[in-house]
Amino acid sequence: MSKALRDVVVLDTAASFWAALGAAFLADFGATVIRIEELPPASDNNADASLDELANRNKRSIALDGRSPAGRRAFEQLVATADAFVTDAPQAQLAERRLDYASLAALKPDLVYARGSGFGADGPDRDLPALDELAAARTGMMPILPQPGQPPVYTGAGQIYTSVMLAFGVTLALLHRDATGEGQEVDASLFAGNMYGASLDVQAFLAMGGERFLRPVSRLDAGNPMSGTLYPTQDGRWVTLTMPDTDRWWPGLAEITGLDANDPRFDSHEKRCEDHRLLLMQLFEEAFQRKPAAYWRDRFDERGLSADVIEDYSYPATDEQARRNRFVLDIERPGRAPAKSLGFPLFLSDSPARLSRAAPFAGQHTAEVLSDLLGYSEDEIAELEAAGVVR
Amino acid sequence: MSAERASSGETSTAKPLTGVRVIDLTVWFQGPVAAQHLADFGAEVIHVERPQGGDFGRGVRTIKAVPVGDWNQYFLVINRNKKSLAVDLKQEAGQEIMRRLVERSDVFLSNLGEDNLERWQLTYERLGEINPRLVYALASGYGRYGGMNKPAFDLTVQALTGLMSRLGEPGQPPIYAGMGSGDAIGGLMAALGVLLALYQRRRTGRGQQINASLYGAQLFLAAPTLQPYLASRDDRLARQRSRMDAPNPLWNTYPTNDGWVFLCLENTDDNWSALCRSLDDAALACDQRFATATGRREHAAALVAALDERLAKRGDGEWLERWRAAGITASRINNLADLARDPQAWENGYFTKAYCEEVQREVDVRGVPVRLSKTPGAVETLGPELGQHTEEILVEALGYTWEQIGELKAQGVIL
Repeated sequence: MSKALRDVVVLDTAASFWAALGAAFLADFGATVIRIEELPPASDNNADASLDELANRNKRSIALDGRSPAGRRAFEQLVATADAFVTDAPQAQLAERRLDYASLAALKPDLVYARGSGFGADGPDRDLPALDELAAARTGMMPILPQPGQPPVYTGAGQIYTSVMLAFGVTLALLHRDATGEGQEVDASLFAGNMYGASLDVQAFLAMGGERFLRPVSRLDAGNPMSGTLYPTQDGRWVTLTMPDTDRWWPGLAEITGLDANDPRFDSHEKRCEDHRLLLMQLFEEAFQRKPAAYWRDRFDERGLSADVIEDYSYPATDEQARRNRFVLDIERPGRAPAKSLGFPLFLSDSPARLSRAAPFAGQHTAEVLSDLLGYSEDEIAELEAAGVVR
Repeated sequence: MSAERASSGETSTAKPLTGVRVIDLTVWFQGPVAAQHLADFGAEVIHVERPQGGDFGRGVRTIKAVPVGDWNQYFLVINRNKKSLAVDLKQEAGQEIMRRLVERSDVFLSNLGEDNLERWQLTYERLGEINPRLVYALASGYGRYGGMNKPAFDLTVQALTGLMSRLGEPGQPPIYAGMGSGDAIGGLMAALGVLLALYQRRRTGRGQQINASLYGAQLFLAAPTLQPYLASRDDRLARQRSRMDAPNPLWNTYPTNDGWVFLCLENTDDNWSALCRSLDDAALACDQRFATATGRREHAAALVAALDERLAKRGDGEWLERWRAAGITASRINNLADLARDPQAWENGYFTKAYCEEVQREVDVRGVPVRLSKTPGAVETLGPELGQHTEEILVEALGYTWEQIGELKAQGVIL
C-alpha cells in the first residue's frame, strides 16, 4: 500500500482548528506534516482537546524559538527541505516575522505557500481577523437560516469548507509544481468557505434577487411541500423530505401519509407546488404528527422514499454505517477511557487514510526532526535544548 | 496527466490541470460541483448527460418558490468551463462510446447510483481494466461500505449528522445549514480525492478508486461541535442552546435598532472594560456580577439581557464605528443583498462576471474560491448546451467518422 502524498513534507504553523485541519487532510494521506510550535508557547491555548486531537493527528511536532538566531537557522533549514508551508497568521505578522512568501521563497523557490485567511489575499478587509464568526456574519446567510422572528444562526460549518479548500489548493499547487518546478502562493479564506457552503442561495440571489432570500421564510411556506421541508412527528422528533420531482414520489408519499394520491387538488406537480402548496403542507403537518419518528423512517425505507428522521449527535456516535466507513472511529489509548473521534471523510482504495499517530504534544518530535530531516547531531540538539532554542 | 499534455495545451494561461480529461457523469449538485472545481483549474471536463432532458439540474424552474428567470443559474454555474456529451447509456452503442472515452481519459467521476453504473458496465472493475491509469471517483450518499442504499440528498443526509438538531433556539424547529450545504462539502471532498489520486498516479502510473460521501463529508461540517461530543458524550453539546445562555456573552449575536451584530471578544477584563466604555455605560461597568470572567459566564443570561437592552438603542453602523475605533472585534450580520455588493467578495474573485449565451449578456456568478497566485482558476464559459460538444468529442477525441455519427443519431444514441 502506498500513500498519495508519501514524499511531501508540509510545515504547519496554523493556530486555528480549521487551518490545522486542512493540513491534517494532507497528513491523513501520507504527507509528513510537521507542526512548528513557537517557543515560548502562547499562553491562551484554550482550544478543546478533542479538536486538537482531530486537527493534529498524524502530524509531528517540533518546538522552537524562531526569534533566536539558532532557532531561525533551524527553521530556515526546515523550509529548505519542505514542499509546502501552511499558515493562518495575519499578513503583517508574517512580514514582521519574515514568514511571508517572499522570505520563504528565497529559501525554497518552489515552495507551495498556503495561507488560510479570514477574507482573502486582496480587498479592503484582507487584514480582518481570521474568525469564522466574522466570515459567517459577512456571508448573508445567518438571518435566513432560522424561522421568521428568530435570532440569526451561526452554524460553524463555514470553516470546514475552508479546511478542505486549503488541502485542495495545496494539492493543486503540488501537482503544478511537479509538472513545472514552479511554486506559488495559495489562499483559502473563511469568507470564501462560508460563501461556497452557501453557494445555492448566494447564486440564486445574485441571479434572481428577491425578498425571499433576504428574510427567513416559514417552513410552512416552502416552494415545494415535498422537498426541503421539515415536519414534526408525534414524539417531538422531526422528519425531513427531499423529493424535488414530485410526480415520481407523490403516490408513495400520499399513501403513507393517508392522503388520496388521486385527489384532484394535488394531481399534478403544478398543483402540488403552486396552486395548493400551502394546503398540502398543512395536511402533511397534521399527518406526520399522528405517528412517531421511528414509524416514519420504516415507512420511508419500505417505499424507498427520499426522506429521513432528523437525528441528534447520538446517531452518528452509534451508527454502524458511520463506523464501517470509518467516518467515526473508536479510539483506544493506554490509560484512558475508550472514546470516539471523527475519522476520515474520504476513501482512497490504494492510499487509505490511517490514524498512524495521535496528535503530538508540543515538541514531541523535535529531536527526531532535527536529526532525521536536518542531520543535527545529538550534541547539537542537546546544546539547542540547553539554550532554550528548542524543546 | 498534466505534465505530459501540458505542452500541447491550447489555452493561453497554464492551469494546474491542463491536459487532465475528466468524464463527469453526474447530476444535480454534489457531483457537478466536484467536477466544477477541476474545470476551474483547467481540466477538460466532459459532462455526460442523457439525450432526453440531460442533467436533472437543467430542469430546475424555481428556487424557494422564486422562478429562476431567463437563465438557469442552478445548472449553468456549477457546469461552467465544461463540455456536454449527450449519450444514451441504456444502449450498447452508447456504452461503447463511454468505453472509448474511458480509454482516453484520466478521471471518471459519478454521483449516480451504483445500480445504474453496474447496468451500464461502468464499474471500477470494468473501467480499470480498460484504463488502469483511470482515477475512478464516486460522490456517493453514505460511503463505500455498510450497504446503505437509500436515496441520498443533502438535506436527508444532513438530518442524520445531528447538526440540524443543535442549531437555533431551544424549542425551535431543526435548522438546515443552507440549500446545497451538504452537496458543496461532498463535492469538494471528491475534488480533493481526485487530486490526491492524480498526484499519486504521477509516481505509480496507476489510478485508484475514490469514494467521497455526503454522509462522511457532512459529519465533518459538524466537526466543531460533533468532535467534542464524540469525545465526551456530553448531551448538552447535542442540544439547542439559546443565545441567552452563551458560554461567553462577549462572543455572541446581538440585535441593534436596525439589525444584528456578531460580537467576538474573548472573555477578558480588558475586553469587558473596553466594551463598557464603548457603551458609555458606567453602571454596567460597575456591576459586580460582571466584574470577572467567571461572573460574566455565570450570569450569562443577565449579561446578555443587559447588552440586548443597551445595543438596541443605536444602529449597527454606529456601534461598529465605535468598536472599530476601540479595537473591538465585531461584524454586522449581513444579508445576501449586502454580500452581493461586498467589495471584499468581488476583489478576491469570489464573485465575477461571465457571459451567458442563453441571454446574451454578462451575468454575476460565483467565482473561484481558492486562489493560486501563479496558476489561478477562472470562469471562462458558463454551462454548455445539452450535447453541445457531442460531435466534437466523438470525432476529435474518439475517432468516430461522420458516417458513424449519423447512424448513432438516427438510432437515438446521441443527440
